[in-house]
Amino acid sequence: MAGESPSQAVPETVETALADRLVEGRVCLEAGAGVGNATAGLLAAGAERVYAVTDDPDHAATVRDRCDDATDRLVVVEADLRQTPLRPDSVDLVTAHGLCNLLDPAALAAVAAELSRVATAGCHLVVDDYEPLPESAAVRDLFAVENAASELATGRSALTFYPASLLRRLFTGHGWTFDRETTLLDPVPWTASHLSAHAGVVTDATEDLPPELGDPLERRAERLAEAIGEEFAGTMYSVAMTRREGDETP
Amino acid sequence: METRPLGATGQESTVATFGAIALNWLEQEGANQMVEHVLDHGVNHFDVAPTYGDAELKLGPKLRQHREDIFLGCKTQERDYEGAAHKLERSLDRLGVDTIDLYQIHGLEYESELDEITGDDGALAAIREAKDDGKVDHVGLTSHGNPGLIRDAIDRIDDLETLMFPLNPVVAGKDDDEHDYEAVLERAEEEDIGTLGIKAFAKGSWPPTSDLPEKDRPYANWYEPVDTPEEIRDRFDFAASQGLSTVVTPGDPKLVSMVLDAAGRYDGMDEATQRSLVEQSRHDDSPVPEQLHH
Repeated sequence: MAGESPSQAVPETVETALADRLVEGRVCLEAGAGVGNATAGLLAAGAERVYAVTDDPDHAATVRDRCDDATDRLVVVEADLRQTPLRPDSVDLVTAHGLCNLLDPAALAAVAAELSRVATAGCHLVVDDYEPLPESAAVRDLFAVENAASELATGRSALTFYPASLLRRLFTGHGWTFDRETTLLDPVPWTASHLSAHAGVVTDATEDLPPELGDPLERRAERLAEAIGEEFAGTMYSVAMTRREGDETP
Repeated sequence: METRPLGATGQESTVATFGAIALNWLEQEGANQMVEHVLDHGVNHFDVAPTYGDAELKLGPKLRQHREDIFLGCKTQERDYEGAAHKLERSLDRLGVDTIDLYQIHGLEYESELDEITGDDGALAAIREAKDDGKVDHVGLTSHGNPGLIRDAIDRIDDLETLMFPLNPVVAGKDDDEHDYEAVLERAEEEDIGTLGIKAFAKGSWPPTSDLPEKDRPYANWYEPVDTPEEIRDRFDFAASQGLSTVVTPGDPKLVSMVLDAAGRYDGMDEATQRSLVEQSRHDDSPVPEQLHH
């Protein structure tokens, strides 16, 4: 995964989501660092320090490689987001860019509580994710196969698309106040590259399954990715919230 | 079709400009029909160059017939006084007109060229002289080179009135200096310089000639274009919504009709949809590592 890097440009989705937040001089937490898109955006916007938290060693290495010119401001933390080593009241800005759809409801509840625990009073939160896809979207079939493979392999779904309104209410319950919602992408471009990555998740999940169960799912995912090719469907949103002063996590 | 001020020239250009290189691939009768077709869609700004095969000659008859309805841009790749003065006369002769509305320095690529063009014996001196003689109305520059160099040109050419440069979602998604044509656009707007967008319909480079010989390419463009009505419309709407004065139609005549249709229907593009196109290109462009998200 290291070496060949993705486009180093900070995606416009991240730039747009951060545009109205104060980043300069702030201690930031990217929850679920992925390939470091939001981390790169936070560093570019002048964050004092970025904790890039991920439980995936490959992602951790990718983020370190990508942002190796900012090592004095970047701390890649390999940890479970439900229980991070960060102190309470230590983070001024939390980003969860494309994270929540990877969390099943139980994990989402635990992560929301943990992010609220580490947030300072007045901390900003930026949650960027996808609205549930319209029924007409062909990629839903691929994601259904992905969920089936994951359920069989781990007992958990791989993808859950939470409406913005639901995440907003969840965090309100943890003492956050709603600031704004912005549409980042409309429609969302599910490119051949994305579909291939999702089919790859199916392949990984089916490795632990008996062939008679896993092989048909793997073939189905590959066929769907090829048949769909590329699809524009659904929307990606950004919700921004602020942690109320003096509020305790329930 | 919507019109916009072309900087401070006083010209109101349609949001689509006809790239007359398309005429090079047509016989004279087809070229005549193409010009009528373009005019029927309301386009009032044409762009041609002596390096586009015999496009100047094929544009000539219909240009002369409709001279009052067409704002004519032409170009020169000459960098010195003599060359530019000669090529201008040649273009006037080939086009069969007395005046070129916008004469552009074509394809600026190197800083040394900028030195030569702006020198006492440079191409700009010839164009300014032609302006005094009434053969040229306005001075422009075209480049798909370094955006920093184009910004230098803005600083160094006081009477520059238009700029032509690439702008599409692939370019917009890259944030390195080499692709920062958005900074050029911003600077041009500050200086009230008219802006013409090229390569709006470029999808990417052609496959290597070992995989696809040049003679087997399905389009005359020197890049691989998008070619469905939906993609063409998205690309047109994207380019037109970036703040350009006008968007130049692609070089292959087979694509022109679809672009004219898109231009006629243009009514803006919201920012989330613009980002969607940028995001699509970002992933097309960087397959390793693959990402689940945007």
